[in-house]
Amino acid sequence: MTAFQIFLIAALAAVGVTLVALALRGAIGRVAALLWLAVVSAGIVFAVAPNLTTVIARAIGISRGTDLLLYLLVLVVLYGFLAIYLKLRRVRRELTLLVRELAIREASAGRGEPRGEVEPRGEVEPRGDREPGGGRTP
Amino acid sequence: MAETAVSIDRSVALGTWVVIPVFNEAVVIARVVRELREVFPNVVCVDDGSGDGSWEAVRAATPHALRHLVNRGQGAALQTGTAYALRRGAERIAHFDADGQHRVEDLARMVRCVADGDCDIALGDRFGGDVTRVPAGRRLLLRCAVAFHRVASGIALNDVHNGLRVLSRPAAERIELTADRMAHASEIIDLIARSGLRVRQVPVTIDYTDYSRAKGQHWTGGFRIMFHYLVGRALG
Repeated sequence: MTAFQIFLIAALAAVGVTLVALALRGAIGRVAALLWLAVVSAGIVFAVAPNLTTVIARAIGISRGTDLLLYLLVLVVLYGFLAIYLKLRRVRRELTLLVRELAIREASAGRGEPRGEVEPRGEVEPRGDREPGGGRTP
Repeated sequence: MAETAVSIDRSVALGTWVVIPVFNEAVVIARVVRELREVFPNVVCVDDGSGDGSWEAVRAATPHALRHLVNRGQGAALQTGTAYALRRGAERIAHFDADGQHRVEDLARMVRCVADGDCDIALGDRFGGDVTRVPAGRRLLLRCAVAFHRVASGIALNDVHNGLRVLSRPAAERIELTADRMAHASEIIDLIARSGLRVRQVPVTIDYTDYSRAKGQHWTGGFRIMFHYLVGRALG
């Protein structure tokens, strides 16, 4: 076993331990933790037996194991970028709605009008990813 | 300015709320607002997080001064001012640029179009009159934008990125801008095309000053706007 293999296994194991700790504290969901653990475990298996990737690659018509990993990496990175971009778009939209509401309230309050007299025309629609109970922290 | 030439019914003027998005326009905004308010008393300025004293100028110029604590872009500022004016009972919403490139008498003609019920939305059209007043580079860029929208939005307009617009209250309630930055001008055309609202293009004069041209879009900005617009359309 080479030094790099040992380093790789240790690093992946550290990630695995962190995932378990986060899941136990409830910082990440259990399903997500299990999925990530599966990825980390696969990483450890491939670090121990690098030739395994080539065996799998050959089975699906790719000549080298490293190529298989590269293709998968491209897919994962693309998906990751898209997911983060969409998330960012939504956050920007929500920031705009928040800044808008603040601006209108500040201007209305300046004239001594009661706050919140106007209903928010359904601009701030509830979202699926909000915590139950109106998004308040427990 | 020839404010003596502007004649408009008092109640029509009062029912019209003029929304001005302001971003770093401290040099000109006070004069622009003053000239507007001689005809249209209800002027809403939305300072979009300026860092040059625009906010102080705006607050001194109009009682309807709003401030975005964080810069959100011109489209976002317009929508903020529109939402505010609608909550305060505006019958019509006008969009007006802060840099002094628009004329109050043009706005008054457009307001009359909407107030008389000739249309739901009046759009300023800088190509409706003396085209030679538009700088050549600007003309080419805007013609490209027009051609683009003929395909993308399926609506044939003369001038698609003109900041001068008047919307009736029902039209303003139906058109909610979600493109925060400059692509709002493209978005609004889509929304108009889909809404079936009656549109009229009114010839207007743009006063191209060194100041307004410096603040205006560089031609590369056209591609950025197009990109934001297409992404917005693709993702909803």
